[in-house]
Amino acid sequence: MSDLEIVVCMKVVPKSEEIRVDKESLLLERTGVRSEINPPDMNALEMALLLKDDQPARISILSMGPPFFEPILRVGLAMGAERFFLMSDREFAGADTLATTYTLAQGIEKIGDIDLIFCGEESADGATGQVPPGLAEWLDTPQVTLATELTVDRKKRIARVRREIKGGHEIQEVDLPAVISVKTASNEPRFIDYHRKPWAFEEAKVVIWGHDDVDVEDGYIGLRGSPTVVSGLREAEVRERRKEFLRGSPEEVAKEIAKRLQGILT
Amino acid sequence: MTVDKGPIEIDDALWEELIEITDGKAAPCYQCGVCTAICPWGLVRDEPLSVRSIMRGAQLGLLEAEEAIWLCTACGQCEIYCPRGVPIVEVFQSLRQLLWEKRKTPAGLTPILWSVYWNNNPLSQPPSQRMDWADGLNLQIFDSTKHEILLYFGCTASYDSRAQSVARAIVEVLRAADVSFGILGEEEPCCGEAVLRLGHSPYFQDVAQHAVDIFEKFDVSKLVALSPHCYDVFRNHYPNINESFEPLHYTEYIANLIEADRLTLVGNLSSKISFHDPCLLGRVNELTDPPRAILETVPDAHVIEMPHSGPDTLCCGGGGGRMWMETPPGERFSDLRVQEALDVGADIIATACPLCISCLEDSIGSMGVTKLKVRDIAEITQMALGQESKNDVVEE
Amino acid sequence: MVASLYAPSEANKALWVFLEIEGDGFASVSVELLSKGRDLADRAGWTLCGLLLGSDISDRANQAFQYGADEVWLLDHPLLAQFDVCGYSHATMQAIKEGKPSVFLLGATANGRDLAGRLAVRLRTGLNADCTDLILDEDRAVLISEVTGFGGGVIALLESAEHCPQMSTVRPGVFIANDPDPSRQGDLVEMKVNLKKAEIRSRIVARHVGEGVDLTQAPVLICGGRGIDGDFESLRELAALVDGEVGATRPPVDEGHIDRERQVGQTGIVCRPKVALNFGISGAFHFIVGIQDAETIIAINTDPEAPIFNHADYCIVENAHKILPALIKTLKTERE
Repeated sequence: MSDLEIVVCMKVVPKSEEIRVDKESLLLERTGVRSEINPPDMNALEMALLLKDDQPARISILSMGPPFFEPILRVGLAMGAERFFLMSDREFAGADTLATTYTLAQGIEKIGDIDLIFCGEESADGATGQVPPGLAEWLDTPQVTLATELTVDRKKRIARVRREIKGGHEIQEVDLPAVISVKTASNEPRFIDYHRKPWAFEEAKVVIWGHDDVDVEDGYIGLRGSPTVVSGLREAEVRERRKEFLRGSPEEVAKEIAKRLQGILT
Repeated sequence: MTVDKGPIEIDDALWEELIEITDGKAAPCYQCGVCTAICPWGLVRDEPLSVRSIMRGAQLGLLEAEEAIWLCTACGQCEIYCPRGVPIVEVFQSLRQLLWEKRKTPAGLTPILWSVYWNNNPLSQPPSQRMDWADGLNLQIFDSTKHEILLYFGCTASYDSRAQSVARAIVEVLRAADVSFGILGEEEPCCGEAVLRLGHSPYFQDVAQHAVDIFEKFDVSKLVALSPHCYDVFRNHYPNINESFEPLHYTEYIANLIEADRLTLVGNLSSKISFHDPCLLGRVNELTDPPRAILETVPDAHVIEMPHSGPDTLCCGGGGGRMWMETPPGERFSDLRVQEALDVGADIIATACPLCISCLEDSIGSMGVTKLKVRDIAEITQMALGQESKNDVVEE
Repeated sequence: MVASLYAPSEANKALWVFLEIEGDGFASVSVELLSKGRDLADRAGWTLCGLLLGSDISDRANQAFQYGADEVWLLDHPLLAQFDVCGYSHATMQAIKEGKPSVFLLGATANGRDLAGRLAVRLRTGLNADCTDLILDEDRAVLISEVTGFGGGVIALLESAEHCPQMSTVRPGVFIANDPDPSRQGDLVEMKVNLKKAEIRSRIVARHVGEGVDLTQAPVLICGGRGIDGDFESLRELAALVDGEVGATRPPVDEGHIDRERQVGQTGIVCRPKVALNFGISGAFHFIVGIQDAETIIAINTDPEAPIFNHADYCIVENAHKILPALIKTLKTERE
């Protein structure tokens, strides 16, 4: 039986505490802002690596973003992924979820013959959690979201997934190929494998695809392919703790606390 | 470990790995067992940590992902007494390194490494907030043409509010002595000590190299570190930066300032003080004199020694990466230390390490002790500066 | 530009709400959306419709009318007995193609998000997820959604004026549910569902609900430290009154007053509740790490110099044993 073919969709996000909004252009200020791999994507990669610990598998990282994503995401290769495809083109920029999932789906089709697609539950910047189901729809595959554990039965061509739901969990069986979103912090992503590190950061060839390299319709990608428009943007107030002292008798203070609780919770 | 219970299967491949990764350092051990006898774990547990068995295992090629390997606080007490000079702490760290390679580390440790990787600190704190604590202090970025020393705070002092008070104290003391100093600000690199102690040597090399690159960029010669943990790695585990790189612990530096008459302590302390030597200061780096020299010049400070002092200091339990692991109540070395301080009648336990402060204060709280306070040497020095110094505005 | 399956000019001035089944009724968020939808529909003169999928659930339509729906579009089919995103997507598409609503709202529950994500792509339309507010611009027939991004650092207003249906998901608890009006009635629109077994490509094999404690999901976290002297009974009583969970610092856990699974902090659990109420906690750094992202932090401690007061919004210098009974009493009185 051939290797299990897995794609893990990953992206780089700005560190959320450093985000600033340019008040005039309504754009996010990027200069000097530190980046990191979207933390839930690390959990997604770890779930793929756990599968690979148990059976022959080939893991490909797929990302859509500007060139600076490349050196950062090589960490995934150092953790154990074999290939890294970066879809990078000005034409892809400005994409909302519809255009992003469309573009990623075309990338997955081009890689070809994939058994499992893993995504992080959501992203630290947009946090919509809509990429996994959208991706599954474009690819016409089933999906299971909020996965915390997963096993594969190659013979039956299914995956058995433990899924977190409100108040507990369910076990689902899903036909392959399938899109799986991995619950944030559901595992501990392994650290860089230092035996892989020199190859991962220097020798490994990252495949970069522009919009001409993939089978995409121009009207469906980037800004043009995005029905959602941002009509306003502002910085939320930075949470500085108020450090307001409430004084009085215990009864008076209790009333103050209750008042504030009511305000916050309703 | 089942080492002494009859014939055992030796895995040749594992034996080779162990010899290689420990660089054969366990070889001189002749199993005398002094290490086990002297290890502080024997003071808090019925079964001591069998350092001897672990050394034996390293010699023979036996390895179990045991709790024992992660108990070591790197206090170095065993090394002082080992008759053959076996670098036991290093052997433990090599065993941990092997466990990293085999992916058999306890939960909760990998995130520490990732935190250093993404955030430049092991505390999962935002890198952009590293200098928030110093708002309003007007600290200057290090300029090798102007500044006598680079003041290196380290991650704990930058983010832990208790340790920040020590950082502020040092700043005030240096200004009172008219020392021209600079800092690295947000560019201050994590020293990587947590990574070293947790056993990930290869990653530690990368972290150290990155820090070295920054020190070279800023042309740093004299570095004064707040934490003995940072100081120890700079002094003993970093590659050579250049001929003139000189890391100092701040207690050494302040003691020198006092001796050179750049600093005079006038404030009355009126307390009985016991100095708790941090392992990495007093034992491993033999810096037992400077903190005591400072205390000696503080008017009305009655210094009393606890039984385990100087090179025999009793570890607080926070080293060796243990700050990131749970130590059950009743097994905390710092509880014993607090009792020693109470027994000699001290009002203050003085120390010079942010991790010691954390462990000791924790123990004081859990033991319900009210008459004992923990103070850092920097804080005591600051208190003893006297009223006048507070009004000085010193420009760098 | 990608075009949605039907243009805004073809859309009906209707707001649709996906009614997620839970127990004998609907998930709270579905009811909250009906209430908000009623409000938006009233102002704009639009129709509010509930979308109900399931097997043998026609009787539930009445509940939807009582919560404000003018119409309920019913898709009743044995294969819809359990939520399956592929099956529900197929069926919903049939209804939407028929009803052509201008706006379609879903609760951002686990299943709601799955359904919304697939449908938005199938419909080739925009989807605004986890909205914190919704505004209907009647002149343009455009739904404006407010969302937060970047861990709460940024607030954006989003719209997709040229695509239909305009889809948004909203988290439970953002809007307030109105009281049901038992006299209210509405129109039931029954749709014939075309669904084949092969279209269901995943199966729920087991379900375990109601086990374990998950502090990270609690909107209110009530933490006790050394200063409460083990009185977690009072904390539990308080927690029950505010739908919260009880957490602790390490010392009470060590002393056996409470389970380690409730320990909050660097070596315990890290939470992001709406409110963290801290009793008798000094505020050592390794604890603060566990709650520092709470929206509001309230701290009660006898020591005015306690470090926790540097990390709190509201600070009370008092003995926890005095505040707790007073607070419990106040909250109980308010309930009545």
